[in-house]
Amino acid sequence: MIQNETAALETKPNPVVAIWRNALVQAFFSDTVTLLSGIFLLVIILSAALAPWVAPYSPQDQQLRLRHYAPLSTGSAVDRTADPPVEEGRFFLLGTDHLGRDYLSRLIYGGRISISVGVLGVLTSGIIGIFLGLIAGFYRGLIDDIIMRAVDVFMSVPLLLLALMVLFILGPSFTNIIIVFAVARWMLYCRVTRGVVLSLREQAFVDAARAIGCSDTRIIGRHILPNLITPLLTLAALEVPRNILTESTLSFLGFGIQPPESSWGLMLSQGRQYIVTAWWVVVVPGTAIFLTALSFNLFGVWMRAVSDPLQRWRWLKATKESKEAGVKM
Amino acid sequence: MRNYLIRRTGHSVFIILGLMALLFFAINILGDPVSLLVDEDASQEAIDALRAKFGLDRPLHVRFGDFYWDLLRGDFGKSIRHRIDAREMIIDRLPNTAILAVVAWAIGSLGIPLGMLAARRPRGLVDRVVNVLSFAIISVPEFWLALMLILIVSVQFGLLPTSGFNGLGMEGWKFMILPAIALSPRVLGRNAQITRATMIEEINKQYVATARAKGLAENAVLYKHVLKNASISIVTLMGDELAGFMNGSTVVEIIFGWPGIGKLLIDAINARDLPVVTAAVFVIALMVMVINFGVDLLYTWLDPRISYA
Repeated sequence: MIQNETAALETKPNPVVAIWRNALVQAFFSDTVTLLSGIFLLVIILSAALAPWVAPYSPQDQQLRLRHYAPLSTGSAVDRTADPPVEEGRFFLLGTDHLGRDYLSRLIYGGRISISVGVLGVLTSGIIGIFLGLIAGFYRGLIDDIIMRAVDVFMSVPLLLLALMVLFILGPSFTNIIIVFAVARWMLYCRVTRGVVLSLREQAFVDAARAIGCSDTRIIGRHILPNLITPLLTLAALEVPRNILTESTLSFLGFGIQPPESSWGLMLSQGRQYIVTAWWVVVVPGTAIFLTALSFNLFGVWMRAVSDPLQRWRWLKATKESKEAGVKM
Repeated sequence: MRNYLIRRTGHSVFIILGLMALLFFAINILGDPVSLLVDEDASQEAIDALRAKFGLDRPLHVRFGDFYWDLLRGDFGKSIRHRIDAREMIIDRLPNTAILAVVAWAIGSLGIPLGMLAARRPRGLVDRVVNVLSFAIISVPEFWLALMLILIVSVQFGLLPTSGFNGLGMEGWKFMILPAIALSPRVLGRNAQITRATMIEEINKQYVATARAKGLAENAVLYKHVLKNASISIVTLMGDELAGFMNGSTVVEIIFGWPGIGKLLIDAINARDLPVVTAAVFVIALMVMVINFGVDLLYTWLDPRISYA
């Protein structure tokens, strides 16, 4: 590995090859499970982002004649956007729901909401938590005590209970779900941030920065924050699936996303009563939630393992270079 | 130790009172309790009448004092919907949730042998399978698993009832199996993960090398020495998860029509039944506190090096 890097310095190969030879990238591609989850996440995120171009039909287009068509079936639908309306043959890869809407299109659009709730929830709670964690860890004293006491209170309240309380008072909506995550999850980022800051603020490079006259903001921004990126990214990767699962639970209970908007959890909730006659309306969105959460989890764990020096070797040892070098690990 | 107990109890009480204060101010400042009770098109007189009836026309700090005082006496008022004591309703439902949680917890403890199996050969085939499997299990939404269980076990094969409740006695067990299974995956997966992780960590320690060097059989090393030391983390996690059941049980209780605290809370929220909501939140928080407290005590008992003098 080290030989490889020095060789790269000497000969300066083209950048693509350099990235490819990177030990981390190699480890990513050599681990089948991680590679598969990475690819799946890419597909899900791209299809959510490009929903209008990827979805075969409109997710709101009701065709009452085509209710509950099974997956892989075809039917003739009326295209009402054309003038005059025309009949057209349609193929339903994942079937249709109780209003004859194409389930694949609904899945893609629903994923848009589910994934943005997951990611935005992590962003808002992360920003609050990191900010408070930096203050608590850097300035210590009374403010630290107050913040950490608040962390204790929030840590000991079950997530769903807090979420239900907030949504009970504010009413269900997309924005309020994000608020729920901000309120209910900030303390995780706060704890991680504070822990790292506490260990860093006593280090020589922070003293050195202070000695040459850096302001607090500069020390935090330039010297402490970069060290936080890996632990926080790992936490974020594990929190996104948690948020997606919580959002789907809340939507399922009727406290989350409201129609006509749709998320995977809401699709499940709406399909629930047809479970006996049309299994796919429950199986399809459930599988989507499950696979997405699983991929995020596996990816997050891989990130944590690779960024931990004590665990890293287990993941890197499979690479070709280390085998050739005969490194015994 | 006594000082620790006092401090720890004080801490728990502080957290519960803090949470209830949060709930009170959220209801009374962010929202208006009367607006939760009446229809949107209610007349001003009707609103004022309600306000007077529930004493909501008094100043905030007086109501807050009353709220805390009632809380300390365990008096939450009468359910607006059912006209019975909110406390009675909670006490009625509590055993149902507790038993469901304990059964699910027992199923979840099966994760421990799985984790032990995986830890025998880190990065081996068994380990990889258990690892992916444990993440698969914790990625399953509980309510989806519940629906799939109903679809396959009850509808397709007609083995167990789809939902319902028939007491906690002998005739009621059939109704408990599916909800308990639906509730258990998270604990199962987390148990497997933490057992695996702590055992691998322990195996790398010096005393294991010593035990092996003196010729102890591998099984004796693993199960007499390693597992004993790993059990501290496992027990802590299992306590956490028992407290965490309040999350999953709400949905599972709704789907299976299981009359527990979670279902009561959701029904009360939907009916805008404030006394019951307050009581349910209080009891759930109390249960979580008590479990966490118990875990902390167990911790000192398992590892004598930890003392809270």
